[in-house]
Amino acid sequence: MTPEALRGIRVVEFTAGMAGPWIGRLMAYCGAEVIKIESRQRPTVVRLYVPPRAPELGVQPTLSPWFTDWDAGKRFVALDLTRPEAVALARRIVSVSDVVVENYASGVMEKLGLGYQELVRVRPDLVYFGSSGYGDSGPCRSYVSWGPNLEAMSGLATLSGFPERPCTLTQYAYPDGLSALHGLFAVLCALDHRGRSGEGQRITLSQLEVMVGALGPLLLQHFADGEEPPRLGNASPHAAPQGCYPCRGEDRWCAVTVEDDAAWGRLCQVLGRADWAADARLAGLAGRLAHHAELDAGISEWTRERDAYDVMHALQAAGVAAGVAQTAEDELRHDRQLAARGFFEEVPHLAKGRVLAPGIPLGLTGTPGRTGRAGAAMGQDNDYVFGQLLGMSRHEIEVAVRAGAIEPPGP
Amino acid sequence: MTVGERGALRGRRILDLADASGAYCGKLFADMGADVIKVERPGGDPARGVPPLWRDGAGEATSFAFLHANTSKRCITLDLERPEGRELVMRLAGGADLLVETFAPGRLEELELGFETLQRLNPRLVLTSITPFGRTGPRRNDRGSDLVANALGGALYVTGEASDPPVVLAGSQAYLVASSFAAASSMIALLHASRTGRGQHVDVSLQETVTAVTHICGVGKWLDDGIVPKRRGTGLFASVPSGAYPCKDGLVYLMVNRPLHWKALAEWIHQETGNQEVLDPMFEGPSSRRQEHRELIDLFVCELTGRFTVQEVYHEGQRRHIAFTPVNTAAAVVRDPQLEARGFFVEMEHAGGRRLRYPGAPYRHARTPWALRSPAPRAGQHNEEVYLGELGLSPGELGALRANGVV
Repeated sequence: MTPEALRGIRVVEFTAGMAGPWIGRLMAYCGAEVIKIESRQRPTVVRLYVPPRAPELGVQPTLSPWFTDWDAGKRFVALDLTRPEAVALARRIVSVSDVVVENYASGVMEKLGLGYQELVRVRPDLVYFGSSGYGDSGPCRSYVSWGPNLEAMSGLATLSGFPERPCTLTQYAYPDGLSALHGLFAVLCALDHRGRSGEGQRITLSQLEVMVGALGPLLLQHFADGEEPPRLGNASPHAAPQGCYPCRGEDRWCAVTVEDDAAWGRLCQVLGRADWAADARLAGLAGRLAHHAELDAGISEWTRERDAYDVMHALQAAGVAAGVAQTAEDELRHDRQLAARGFFEEVPHLAKGRVLAPGIPLGLTGTPGRTGRAGAAMGQDNDYVFGQLLGMSRHEIEVAVRAGAIEPPGP
Repeated sequence: MTVGERGALRGRRILDLADASGAYCGKLFADMGADVIKVERPGGDPARGVPPLWRDGAGEATSFAFLHANTSKRCITLDLERPEGRELVMRLAGGADLLVETFAPGRLEELELGFETLQRLNPRLVLTSITPFGRTGPRRNDRGSDLVANALGGALYVTGEASDPPVVLAGSQAYLVASSFAAASSMIALLHASRTGRGQHVDVSLQETVTAVTHICGVGKWLDDGIVPKRRGTGLFASVPSGAYPCKDGLVYLMVNRPLHWKALAEWIHQETGNQEVLDPMFEGPSSRRQEHRELIDLFVCELTGRFTVQEVYHEGQRRHIAFTPVNTAAAVVRDPQLEARGFFVEMEHAGGRRLRYPGAPYRHARTPWALRSPAPRAGQHNEEVYLGELGLSPGELGALRANGVV
């Protein structure tokens, strides 16, 4: 039996939202022990969840599907971090840990007495990772932001989408996920350095800067010519035609990329357009870019009468890149590739029994991970962490609970 | 010590056989101090010529995307179709920690460079394969692109306006997401290999990585509420209010998630416009309380934002701890005072003395600073350094490989 890849690494989290928590979620998936410290007075957004199918139940802190997506597999303790005894306990947890991940508002950890300078005293080789919207310096360091704010602020929203739309946004708070992946990589690199040198260190991440970096080629272009890079919709300057074409049914679409002249010939064959194949104007990329609208109209005419999956299969069978614009339902019900690879994961849930969650596609074939328990309450693992891990007696724990430092488990 | 010699991954060696879909993975390693050797075919990677292009001072035109994704790397050329070329890769892999590649599933095995072969040669080696759909499953041999991965991964369907076709984000974000996942996975595998002495094969699917980053709109949410997430303009379905709102001179983005932020916003609207209704306690609490009043609340917000410029709403809103941000153009981003104060953009000198600015560090390591050490290498720029200096070939041997078109 291969041990999980990150077994033996302990992570302490002071996090909210997704950009911070997703890092611990991925590390826990690979076998790290991740302890999330929460405070009842400042519940994270997912703890404020009201089930849309049963709003009469009110706030349900353990039932959000995103709580599974962001926090499953972790240990949970509850501390009132406004009390010095609680801060001392948090420091003790850090003293037996390798990594701290935090994404509270800028300066909050320092105010709580849990800044890097404090924590490195109890754990000299600590890897301390702090993520915030704007970074830990500069005039706007304390500004508030959520994922979509950073899509707008970074330029992504303005540079994306159809030319006639002033800005285009996603529904999935893209900056959160991308920042978490960069944060995870940054932490792992610091662990690698620690492994070879014995040194820990502090790492800071600005989610805005991750997003601006993600627009690299477009900004390089802007630096070179001073112009706003044009919004291209689904088109590409180096592959034509490319687009997302309407298919049979309501709001059904299939994306198609013709990557080169050979693929263009294959597309013409599938569509039965001998006239296009013979048209010298369309033989090269430049010509196809120049007549893109005409090609889009012709392709749409063909796709409109067909099921989106039939379009995809017919084109792929001929060697043309194509893919249905899938919904969440499609991913689960209609995608044989995801199913064959066992992408979706059944996760044990303390309140719901079992839930299905999107997989964690790290692709570690030698040490495949898995998601532990979901749906933990605040303080669910107080006994384990304070009793077993820190070796506090039952009496000591009770004293800390009575003093209000440890918050008892519960919703 | 030159810049970047203190990077966290100093001493790690990576062979980068990735095309444009995986080039950013190698960049993450290279800017962190690893020695990343990009292996290209004789004549160079076709990605160098993908428009739009930039001409350096020596007259060489290179793709902006290529320039961005290949900083801090070295580059050698060799022909994988030739046994002598494969022999060179094997020798390099013998001393490497990680090999990253983006060939079609099965291609590496055809070249006799499959994981088993490489592992026999170097048990610690991690092999990371980035493919459109993964190395297994019925669609493993299908063709992909950034757009197709975004479509099948669920990103397209939930991006843009409800009345428009699904639309892709600019900047080949599926490539970026897959590369970021691949970099993280590879590091996990490297840490594991350091402990156990055994590398492993990492199988990264572009489609799956997109599906993972779009999970807020994914199956967990859909199974929970029965609502299939769709495009819905600029507002986020779960946050009320949220979206792009007009000011005197442009758009600001606003998102309210916490009950506290709503109170602050309602207070400001009331102070500025005299609106009494906005203070109604029925709007207070989490966003779910305001969901059915979304359109009305949008009107309230527009009344406020329309009175000011973007910068006024941004800074006054933030002073009140409300998440307002400008909807920036490229020109505004590169002049942003916050990014400027942090020295985010970095200028690098290219061949012939021409300079170009780049986005800087995505993270800041206090002890092991991230650094753009050099611009993207020219094709085969480091052939002699690597083949003669590091593999120990004689000038005669290298000359013969060149004459035969292997290098």
